[in-house]
Amino acid sequence: MAVVDNGTFGERRLKMVLELPRKSKGHRPKYFEDAAIDRVLAITLSLAGEVSVLRDRIDTIERLSSLGKPFGPVDVDSFEPSAEIATDRERWRANYLEQVLLVIQQDVDDLKRPHSAHSYEAAVKSVENT
Amino acid sequence: MVESGSVQNQTPHTMLAQSSGDELARQEYVKSLKFHLASKVSPANALAFAAQGGKPEDDRHEVARLLKNNPFYNTWSAMLRTSQELMWRSVQLPIERTFDEIKDRSKKIVPAGGSLSLDPELEIPAYHRHVDIHCMPGGYHGEFAEEDFSSGAIYDRAVYLYAMGRMGPENSDIGDTLINLLRDRFPDLRPLRILDMGCSVGHSTLPYVDAFPEAEVHAIDVAAPMLRYAHARAENLGKPVHFSQQNAEHTNFEEGSFDLIVSHILVHETSHHASRKIMRECRRLLRPGGVVVHGETPPYRDLPGFDAFMLDWDTRNNNEPYWGASHEIDVPSICEESGFDPAKAFESYQLSAFDAAEAKRTRKFQGGDFGGGGQWYFWGTQA
Repeated sequence: MAVVDNGTFGERRLKMVLELPRKSKGHRPKYFEDAAIDRVLAITLSLAGEVSVLRDRIDTIERLSSLGKPFGPVDVDSFEPSAEIATDRERWRANYLEQVLLVIQQDVDDLKRPHSAHSYEAAVKSVENT
Repeated sequence: MVESGSVQNQTPHTMLAQSSGDELARQEYVKSLKFHLASKVSPANALAFAAQGGKPEDDRHEVARLLKNNPFYNTWSAMLRTSQELMWRSVQLPIERTFDEIKDRSKKIVPAGGSLSLDPELEIPAYHRHVDIHCMPGGYHGEFAEEDFSSGAIYDRAVYLYAMGRMGPENSDIGDTLINLLRDRFPDLRPLRILDMGCSVGHSTLPYVDAFPEAEVHAIDVAAPMLRYAHARAENLGKPVHFSQQNAEHTNFEEGSFDLIVSHILVHETSHHASRKIMRECRRLLRPGGVVVHGETPPYRDLPGFDAFMLDWDTRNNNEPYWGASHEIDVPSICEESGFDPAKAFESYQLSAFDAAEAKRTRKFQGGDFGGGGQWYFWGTQA
């Protein structure tokens, strides 16, 4: 039976041998009236990425579990998804992004079928009077 | 719908950073996010434009005026900018962790016959010092370790993510496509010395080694970390190229020493004056009958106002200060200014050489969708 290594890769992963700059030189544009919204949106998209990372990790753990052999963090970290698995994950991410960005899709739908606040008011009036 | 193909499809070589499962997943997320924005969100900007009263005949400045304060456009823009920042970070992480391992591997590369010549005294041009082009932290030339090649390692993977794999497994599509253009337009050209200007990691350089086996291929860039990486990558892939650290505005090559000079997405990362100096240098370096070709995305005059506006996104949002003005270069004029016969100037579109990306293309030239157009724009002339 394989020896489960719980250490090496996990420790190594935390040890960065080089530190690169996080910010590119140049002014970051402001997209919303309140710059805090720019930040919250950036954090949200980054966080959505970390959820996606965790989901792939769970998928790896499920797949390794199903083999019925002991495994540890090293096996999870070094797991190389096959083309088929990569395609499954990509499909999952496409659906996931549609879910996370639902409100944006709603804006797209509104642009495709414009209905103004006026028409909603008309709908209220219509049911009040009929 | 699965459209963009796994990051793992990039051709492996010894210099490519090996990502852990989490690191790979983070890069895949960025790629999927970029594809979602390009294919699901960006197209609705045209509807937002129409809803603001925009008309098909509006020029890009009018489109900008109408969309400047549009909430949908600004939200898309903010997300695209963020995807770019997340992309660089996702690629930096495995390199920060495995820099020493890559360095060790680089020492074991079997030579292929190329060379590397660096010039520590070379002045980095202002247009690369003022801002980090396309928001890449540290830029092309930044050095953060001894014998640093990290910006090359970052760029190699990031280009694959940025293009969503649609420039081929070796990111070579612009070079491959330019070669197809040469075959069509200059079928008799048999170059013996080729120069690739602004080669970065050599994505577009290497195809020339196979396409013209009798030629000596030279490639220059201002950034030492790119060249260290480019040299190691080329040697490992068995392609002999002579890399040297030089500014394309004024090189140390002899007059009339090249039959073919090419550049791939270089011009838009220079400046008005530099692009003219580069063309004058091409004039000096080309032998009679020699050809120069620059590969870029389409000039704005060839696009409807709305499309030109969408392609211009990078100018203000992705640290590409010369992007906009470079897309308005008048080819016969710049050729004439630099001593070429303006009658020999040409502009041409060539279908992308990477057929496998066909199903994944949006068929649009738009910000954040590099390589999605399915063709490249080339301009150049003959000495």
